[in-house]
Amino acid sequence: MTLSEALAQQLSESQAGALLTMAPEHPEQASNADLTETPYTQLLESANQLRALHTGLLGKALAIRYTSLCDFVTALLAFDGWCSALYLLPNDSCPSLPPDCMYLSDTETGNNQQMIKPTKPVHTRWYLATSGTTDKPRWIGHNLAGLTHSIKHSDRLSGLVWGLVYQPFRFAGLQVLLQALLTQTRLVDASSGDISARLQRLQKGRVTAISATPTLWRQLLVSGQLSSLQLTQLTLGGEIADQGILDALADVFPQARIRHIYASTEAGVGFAVSDGKAGFPKAWLDQGYDNIRFKVDQHQHLWIKPATLAQSGISGRVDQQGYLDSEDLVEIKADRVLFLGRATGAINVGGNKVHPQQVEQVLLTLPDVMQARVYGQSSSVIGQLVAAQIVAAQGVDTSALKKQLLKHCMQRLQRHQIPARVQFVDKIDSNAAGKISRSSTNE
Amino acid sequence: MTANMTIEQQVRDAMIQVAEISDCQLVSEINNDTVLLQSGLDSLGFAMLVAQLEEDLGFDPFTQMAIAVYPSTFGDFVSIYQQYADQQQDGQ
Repeated sequence: MTLSEALAQQLSESQAGALLTMAPEHPEQASNADLTETPYTQLLESANQLRALHTGLLGKALAIRYTSLCDFVTALLAFDGWCSALYLLPNDSCPSLPPDCMYLSDTETGNNQQMIKPTKPVHTRWYLATSGTTDKPRWIGHNLAGLTHSIKHSDRLSGLVWGLVYQPFRFAGLQVLLQALLTQTRLVDASSGDISARLQRLQKGRVTAISATPTLWRQLLVSGQLSSLQLTQLTLGGEIADQGILDALADVFPQARIRHIYASTEAGVGFAVSDGKAGFPKAWLDQGYDNIRFKVDQHQHLWIKPATLAQSGISGRVDQQGYLDSEDLVEIKADRVLFLGRATGAINVGGNKVHPQQVEQVLLTLPDVMQARVYGQSSSVIGQLVAAQIVAAQGVDTSALKKQLLKHCMQRLQRHQIPARVQFVDKIDSNAAGKISRSSTNE
Repeated sequence: MTANMTIEQQVRDAMIQVAEISDCQLVSEINNDTVLLQSGLDSLGFAMLVAQLEEDLGFDPFTQMAIAVYPSTFGDFVSIYQQYADQQQDGQ
């Protein structure tokens, strides 16, 4: 079933799902403007018209550039089940597209109302870009069934009003978008703008459900206005949810369902923990949970055995019992399994991944930097910050060098990749293999 | 000597320092009623401020509070640090 068919099927059940977005002509007055309501029925009609204008795209690969939420959803509805592939372009660095990939702007427009259903079904691959802060962004292919399999239907869920705070062309945002569409609930676009403009839209749209990173939740708490929302469902994902943020949110919304999500894309596993505590129950190591089995090895790596492995390419990394190393470090404390971070040393700054090696390489291009070690320092505000230890050349004025290297990093790295803390040391410990030890020295 | 500096002055100094390295532009006047989110620091800048103050003062009240109370103005922010510093003195 295509996205538009799935939506049309839901529409018959007398609900009034709609997108609530900013009036696109006055984005600069975003915080003052009222929300514009676009019913899903209207989006379906626009999608049919759009497809009729671009019938030549049948079976072709299409790149969709995000301009507004309404246009974006219309294009998804129009071309899922019509194009062979949909590439959802991110707004920053974009992996290269296949040569035959087309844009809406460069396809012929002919109005062919007769031919708006393909004669035989086209199975569309949806491509999402990994966030560009890792080594190199790349496309990950999905199909609609996979993207929507975690969407649940219930009376409680169809009574929610979702707030979209993630970018809709990323995995997490698309999940929220599809959840709202396919449960016929209202979706308020708060995916752009500063925090007070977003909050104003969430308030105006009477949002009751939000999925966001712990960092964004902390920002919403700092605004002092979070309690003006009537939230009944709060989801935390994309970063480790610590006990502090779970408690702070429970304090503001004592009656709400608060859950944090763990996802391992490689293992094709995602689960939600909703008991209000950080990590997950230790009992799951013995009993498993929701068809998933877990174990922890002597290096504190969490191994996961899903019911079925998502990707065939990782079969070589699966042990004899069918477990895959998630490369997430955990610690067992009392009756909980708590997440510590990535075994690879990847740093998670408010949901943005930073590879320490990449930052080290930039630091090492300065002649006065003899050795550099980059690691994650835990932050009560943003999860983790980038920290660096530097061995400077002999006799160098370290305070001048610190200024120089920060400027050097600013020109070459994204803001969140720049070391927030720089420490000059006499030597950097390496392990027996001569590799720099990557575990945090924060403790 | 930092001991002679008020907590508020240390917070102000740290803000200026952090704004520079985090590429943020602070608003021209910051007083007790300035809303933190409108001070010019974004969440990364704010995180760096808390980390810088931890280095300068030796504590981070946000990790150490049992239930996080989130400050919304500059005045709230300073008073959380002040309270924590006073408690530490009493405990000694």
